[in-house]
Amino acid sequence: MNSQKHLLIIDDDPDFVAGIRSILESANYLVDVAYNPKDGFEALQSKPYDMLLLDIMMGRGAEGVMVARKMRKDPKLRELPVLIITGIREQIAFLFPGGPVHPRFVEVDELVEKPVEPKLLLERVSALLQSAQAKKASPA
Amino acid sequence: MAERLSFSDEVSNLLYAAHGNPLTTCIQCGTCSGTCPVVPYMDHTPRRLIGMITAGLKEEVMASNTYWSCASCYHCNVRCPQGIDIAELMYALKRLSIWRAQHKEGLIGPVFSETFVKTIFKSGRSYEPVLATSYLFTFGVQEFLQEAQTATSLMLKGRLPVLPPRIKRLDNFGRMLRRIIPMGDAK
Repeated sequence: MNSQKHLLIIDDDPDFVAGIRSILESANYLVDVAYNPKDGFEALQSKPYDMLLLDIMMGRGAEGVMVARKMRKDPKLRELPVLIITGIREQIAFLFPGGPVHPRFVEVDELVEKPVEPKLLLERVSALLQSAQAKKASPA
Repeated sequence: MAERLSFSDEVSNLLYAAHGNPLTTCIQCGTCSGTCPVVPYMDHTPRRLIGMITAGLKEEVMASNTYWSCASCYHCNVRCPQGIDIAELMYALKRLSIWRAQHKEGLIGPVFSETFVKTIFKSGRSYEPVLATSYLFTFGVQEFLQEAQTATSLMLKGRLPVLPPRIKRLDNFGRMLRRIIPMGDAK
């Protein structure tokens, strides 16, 4: 089989990152972490990754959304699969009590909410990687 | 496996877009604390809070009321000899404590900000009579009556709206907000 998949996590919560990182590493993924959107975007531009795991609420506010939008404008990064893992619903629950997060407001491939089950996380990651590979193999 | 991120790094990541120097350049001179007009209401002074962050005392920092007491007058920023963006630090800690739901109970600040944002989301404008009720009842009887008296005379002079104001084209505004925060019903 081909080599290890290289993932990048952009998330500012060190506890959460430590958790999902160990889950992903035990599933034999190579994981890099950036703790703020700026470092994260620089990392994306400097190295080719197979997938990005992105948080929403970072730095000044909903900056994960901005990262996702910036990536869509970049021809090199447009193809990269993005999985948003967010606790936004809890974080600003006072604004939208019970309101759903709408993936259609940000263009990403998939969105899961924190806290995320390890099994679900691995499932989503491998599914996204596979579909990205399939897309690459047969460009529509 | 890489090392775990320290609390001081966590805070500096929150401040990555701020213009000030990093907190680690703080020389603990205490100018911020000497300048701050609301120090009497804080359980730790700003100088001490910076020291605590650098020392990694996460729980103590998050449990303090210092950053919620900050009046955002920015005098500390102006006078800090090291050019640290202290007021922005206070904002960053406010955000963090709301996101992680870790702030102290019974503070005016969090409730006030939440009510403020809610009224803006709903009508596009802030509406003081609603805003005031978020903290008014924490006051004593005397202050309460004083506030009510001031509000009444402001209202009589037409300085305080009786009905909540609404902006035109509220729908557009709502769509704009949802571009920033991707939540709520899709319309």
